[in-house]
Amino acid sequence: MFSRILVACRGEIALRIMRACRELGIETVAVYSQADAEMVYLDFADASICIGPGESSQSYLNIPHIIAAAEVADVDAIHPGYGFLAEVAQFAEVCRDCHIEFIGPSAEALRLMGNKVAARNLARKCGAPVVPGSEGPIDSEDQARTTAREIGFPVMIKAASGGGGRGMRRANNEMTLLSHMAIARSEAEAAFGDPSVYIEKVVERARHVEVQVLADQRGRVVHLGERDCSLQRRHQKLIEEAPCPVITPKLRRRLGDDAVRIAAAADYVGAGTVEFLVDPDNNYYFIEMNCRIQVEHPVTEMVTGIDIVKEQIRVAAGERLSFRQEDVKIQGAAIECRINAEDPSNDFKPCPGLITRFYAPGGPGVRVDTHAHGGYRIPPNYDSLIAKLIVHRRNREEARVCMRRALEEFVIDGVKTTIPLYLEVFGHSAFVSGRVDTTFIENLERDH
Amino acid sequence: MEFDEIQDVLERLIGVMDARKLDELEIEVEGLKVALRRGGRGGDSPAVVVAHAGAHPAVPMPAAPAAPGGTPAEGEGEGEGLHIVSSPMVGTFYRSPAPDADPFVDVGDEVTPDTVLCIIEAMKVMNELKAEVAGVVQAVRAEDREAVEYGQPLFVIARPSA
Repeated sequence: MFSRILVACRGEIALRIMRACRELGIETVAVYSQADAEMVYLDFADASICIGPGESSQSYLNIPHIIAAAEVADVDAIHPGYGFLAEVAQFAEVCRDCHIEFIGPSAEALRLMGNKVAARNLARKCGAPVVPGSEGPIDSEDQARTTAREIGFPVMIKAASGGGGRGMRRANNEMTLLSHMAIARSEAEAAFGDPSVYIEKVVERARHVEVQVLADQRGRVVHLGERDCSLQRRHQKLIEEAPCPVITPKLRRRLGDDAVRIAAAADYVGAGTVEFLVDPDNNYYFIEMNCRIQVEHPVTEMVTGIDIVKEQIRVAAGERLSFRQEDVKIQGAAIECRINAEDPSNDFKPCPGLITRFYAPGGPGVRVDTHAHGGYRIPPNYDSLIAKLIVHRRNREEARVCMRRALEEFVIDGVKTTIPLYLEVFGHSAFVSGRVDTTFIENLERDH
Repeated sequence: MEFDEIQDVLERLIGVMDARKLDELEIEVEGLKVALRRGGRGGDSPAVVVAHAGAHPAVPMPAAPAAPGGTPAEGEGEGEGLHIVSSPMVGTFYRSPAPDADPFVDVGDEVTPDTVLCIIEAMKVMNELKAEVAGVVQAVRAEDREAVEYGQPLFVIARPSA
């Protein structure tokens, strides 16, 4: 087992990883940018090292600085968290070359799954249904037109090196197809350094259902059930729950089996998430695989009782998973809200600034993962997630009521947050009946 | 008073002078006397003169005055600024080019912008750190072979008056 781990990320996930390390008896080294110098969790680490100025490119994305910190601190492993370098194959390679364990899959698996076209092909080879779309990247306007006609409009143009809801453009008809493709290509080039795009049919009124997988280095791959992350805005998840309230046991089994098969085919090691779309007729389609611990991992932890971050660390150290597939039981229902410092009444504009008062909810069934506190100044350099509020109760309705109660107790003064929006969601009849899809939040916005 | 605190005080005082459009400001706090006069180098920023009045000088004294115009510690110099060289990277700080060699610089040495002050080693690469300013080494703030982080103060260089 590792004796010291460097936590190469920031915010609530850095604290989450440090907590797992602490419980495993592993020393922690936190890294921080000058913009994060006041973070309270830095005091909880055994050592902390400043790795650069506020700009991510010069700190949290700066591989030489992070590796240098790993070397001076003499760590055995690096946990990249999510975002930043978590899915950068080159970083995994540099770690390997420097004999530092990268807590995550191999560089090869990251490359494979990071290419969304290759991931689709792999899923198809595993017998999983994929969203009808182009076989590979679109190389010509003719190919674009032909493919779109074959699968039928509307279509989604997606960046091959994108993912996570980024680098996607919708085209409703042939007239906009080519112009949107051109825009998508230049956006992809700018954002991901790769202009290749592929096309998928738009699955209307889909639910986003994803399966958590865990794999060790001894070849064991298991799944921990699914999460429903349909409540999104501009393809960014806001609310997640486990289990998915509307799929049948048979569909649940198939999603889990397909996810395991895909992860195994990619020689995956560590924690990962296989994402699917489920249409109103309960047809499901693979869209992509995320090769990192995810923001919403707590809902799975609550319903399974499994500490996913500890398992990540264990398997990276060469241990076998501490449980078998048949040991995985889903108990009750869990829901998570991402509390963002954004103004929902002003197009979700980010609101960095000083949190003057911070009072987190508690009581039975409530978990809060956060790095924020009263007196914390949210820097403008990073994403706007300031806290995750998770509840776990015996069933979904009790979880919904608990979430409402917890949101009402959550006091964050000084900045605008998305709490008012969530209060509305959890009182909405559509949410109560579980009949929501990826258009719900934006429709709610429009109705205001 | 630690040097970092002095730096902080100086910056705040300069800010006050600019904000209030003062030409001169004198203050004595905790054994440190500071006199600021505008126009030392023809620029807008006040020139800084620092004097010690207490028993515990916070800035180490050079062995012999080497800069023209005297050392800041004696309060005689005109418009001397103090420049802090901080680490631009994470790594291991080495004062000498080799284990048995003399340090690149010592307190009291004159430096030019191209003078190599130290090596910071990261990922097996030895990076030479240059002074980037001209002046006299006033203090060395890191220990040989110490692990340093981004932004950590390494050297204090007293810049000469114009």
